[in-house]
Amino acid sequence: MIKVSGLDKFYGDHHVLSSIDMRIIKGEVFGIVGHSGAGKSTLLRCLNGLEKYQQGSVRVMGKEVKDLGPAALLELRRHMGMIFQKFNLMSRKNVYDNIAFPLQVWKTPSREIAARVDELLEMVGLQDKKFSRVNSLSGGQMQRVGIARALALRPEILLCDEATSALDPKTTTSILELLESINQRLRITMVVVTHQMEVVKRICHRMLLLDGGVSQVMGPTEDLFLSPPENLKRFIDEEYTLLPGINIRLTFPRHISQDSVITRMARELEIEFSIVGGKLERYIDDVLGFLIINIRPENLDAVLKYLEDHQLFWEVLDGSGATLRQNERAPGAVNLEISAASAAESRRIQ
Amino acid sequence: MTPEIGLWEQWMARMTVIGPELYAATLETLYMVGLSTLFSFALGLPLAILMILTHPRGIRPNPKVYNAIDVVVNLLRSFPFIILLIMLFPLTRLIIGTTIGSTATIFPLTIAAAPFAARIIEGCFLEVDPGVIEAARSFGANDFELVTRVLISEALPAVILNVAVLAITLIGYSAMAGTISGGGLGDLAIKYGYHRFQADVMFYSVVILLVMVQTIQSVCGYVYKRLR
Repeated sequence: MIKVSGLDKFYGDHHVLSSIDMRIIKGEVFGIVGHSGAGKSTLLRCLNGLEKYQQGSVRVMGKEVKDLGPAALLELRRHMGMIFQKFNLMSRKNVYDNIAFPLQVWKTPSREIAARVDELLEMVGLQDKKFSRVNSLSGGQMQRVGIARALALRPEILLCDEATSALDPKTTTSILELLESINQRLRITMVVVTHQMEVVKRICHRMLLLDGGVSQVMGPTEDLFLSPPENLKRFIDEEYTLLPGINIRLTFPRHISQDSVITRMARELEIEFSIVGGKLERYIDDVLGFLIINIRPENLDAVLKYLEDHQLFWEVLDGSGATLRQNERAPGAVNLEISAASAAESRRIQ
Repeated sequence: MTPEIGLWEQWMARMTVIGPELYAATLETLYMVGLSTLFSFALGLPLAILMILTHPRGIRPNPKVYNAIDVVVNLLRSFPFIILLIMLFPLTRLIIGTTIGSTATIFPLTIAAAPFAARIIEGCFLEVDPGVIEAARSFGANDFELVTRVLISEALPAVILNVAVLAITLIGYSAMAGTISGGGLGDLAIKYGYHRFQADVMFYSVVILLVMVQTIQSVCGYVYKRLR
């Protein structure tokens, strides 16, 4: 569907994107992740020609974007919808006029427009807001209007630029559910740019991590999060401020977290530790968690031995969150092993 | 012994003398301000569109064109209006045929106000959220549609409000033009009120101008609120 190879982009001397390679398959949800300023929105805009690029190739549906003439470029954009962080709706117009606008641009007869807008309003669940002023809507409702507008021309590809970054967590979830159902029902290919890890984990089949305009990691989301490579792990852990002393990152599937292994460890070893941060998260099909704890250096050996005995995967982090030491088994292997064991166990219980 | 005359009769008698003069001058001012607002807006709008298109953050950035217009606009705006009026005399005579009277004043008024109009309309366009324009580009709107259906449409309320600023500025300019015998209320106020010490003429002229300014501002403010 989309093939990017050796893509380079500069703003003056500033190298915004350097030799990006990626392939996006028809029907998948592909995530582009990174900090603000990492170049992800720019990369997204190269796909529909809103940004020009200096070197390399961007092929969308078989066409090289930079070789398209003005008319062909408009035609390409007709097949690529786009939604935005700040929704970018016309504030003076009502919901109907906003959704109808792309159809009017492409000279759709007005009776067809009316029918199509009703269809789209139903899809995003805003039938009762048809003639409301856009300004009177909540953020989530505005994004629904944005989605309806982006889908009005029945595009094959939907580009999402930080579509949930301006929304609260609950609304984010509902918008992600909507996008997921649209992906499944319409078989539309989606490219999702975000800095929110939960968005990637929730809807993206595959992802690309971008940092400083350079591609860091690319692959299936689940695999990457189950055994994150160094640069992805650093990105995930960055939200936590590590304390002085020794920080250990523990990874475990849900059944172990329910066993309260950590508190038992504290009791059995008679040590104290602080919790730096942690999360139990839903990946597309699995639940997986991690916890970062901070212990005193003198307790390190005892703690590591305890973790080994309980088959937990551990890593000792340095001040910036990079791994200093970790236990021998690859994290994926441990997790898979434990998940397999727990699956067997749950079958036995049944 | 003079017969007793009431204040009302006194006022009425005075009004029969100066009333027609005030009335004629008011019409002249409306004529000058109305047409010059229209013409300067008609000249300023395309200039503003050209500026916003070629603006560094515009739809088709073109620093050369933008800077050229920018310089011309600043140059014309830095002339004191009176000086511009006198400098334009030969051109006015060529185009209108005369340099005296309200019709002849419309030309310099338009020339003086068009760059001002361009600048304030450009300001309104710059206020339009670039994201909305990008959204329209993302589904394939062409440049013409971007300008007419997004830029102008989104900026319309602000443009209306700024038309009030333009018209009110032109009321001020037209009063100034009166001193070079351009006609209108400013001319009347100077001639009768100042040179002939008829303070009431000056007073009434100013009151009428005040009512005009107030009306323009209220009407545009109302339209702005309705459109927004």
